[in-house]
Amino acid sequence: MSDEFEVEFIEREERSARFVVRGLTPAIANGIRRAMITDVPTLSIDTVRFVENSSVMFDEMIGLRLGLVPLTTPLDDFEVGDDVTLALDVEGPATAYSGDIETSDELVQPADENIPIIELKEGQRLEFEADAVLETGKSHAKHQGGVAVGYRHLQKVEVVGDAGEFDEEEPNILRGVVETEEGELVATDEFGNDLTNRYPGKEVEVTDVPGAFVFHVETDGSFTADELLLRAIDSIDARAAELEDAVAV
Amino acid sequence: MMIPVRCFTCGNVVAEHWEEFKARAREGDEDPAEVLDELGVERACCRRMMVSHKDLVDVVAPYQ
Repeated sequence: MSDEFEVEFIEREERSARFVVRGLTPAIANGIRRAMITDVPTLSIDTVRFVENSSVMFDEMIGLRLGLVPLTTPLDDFEVGDDVTLALDVEGPATAYSGDIETSDELVQPADENIPIIELKEGQRLEFEADAVLETGKSHAKHQGGVAVGYRHLQKVEVVGDAGEFDEEEPNILRGVVETEEGELVATDEFGNDLTNRYPGKEVEVTDVPGAFVFHVETDGSFTADELLLRAIDSIDARAAELEDAVAV
Repeated sequence: MMIPVRCFTCGNVVAEHWEEFKARAREGDEDPAEVLDELGVERACCRRMMVSHKDLVDVVAPYQ
């Protein structure tokens, strides 16, 4: 493994990113993936005190739905274990949305505002106070900041000759990101995930590029995809330093 | 009963898009596949959450 990693973004949006990292071993790549899922903490509702719930759902069912609502998490201002109080009061006929939740801290808001929590009919009312706590994905899946985080090998596509004139035209499906002979990185959905669309009438060979991994990262809105990745790497770094200290003679 | 907040399989928040999907594809006459593409619900696991859902609050409400 080299000392320097080379990172190249293919897509970079607020909540999702796709990038190639070179100079990794599979162990490190998987370590980063696991750190993104379990080691980066997010705020999530943990305790709910119901004042009134006359809706068609039980308290527990509403508690479960509330736990799954992503909350924006300013990680610089909170430590694991800190909590924030939230409240909601909606009277029917109306639908209680995640956007109706009021928070005691301006930095903590529901990341999505149109999540229906419960539809209330005439005379029904939902009022509660809740505590959101900062925890890691290890304690509960609702605290996972990363959604569908994964990686695959970068594949190189090389033209090795022409396809036989009377060969049957079969689709050659490939997903993710490929490297062309010129060293250009192309997302496969640009050509319908089918290599025969990009190289018609050619015979191509696909090989894995050693030490290069294509990551796909999405977050639930608690923080940006960039922050998720950086925090995950920080956590690996911190644990490596801790191990080094522990075994130092 | 209500649309699940997140996709069972991948954990992506799907409830955010439910009301628009319902208005356009269920009550409207747009193609559900196109609406889901526009809403950014890409994966098959998230799409089945929307396509196979039925709101039951109206059915249960009288028995409260």
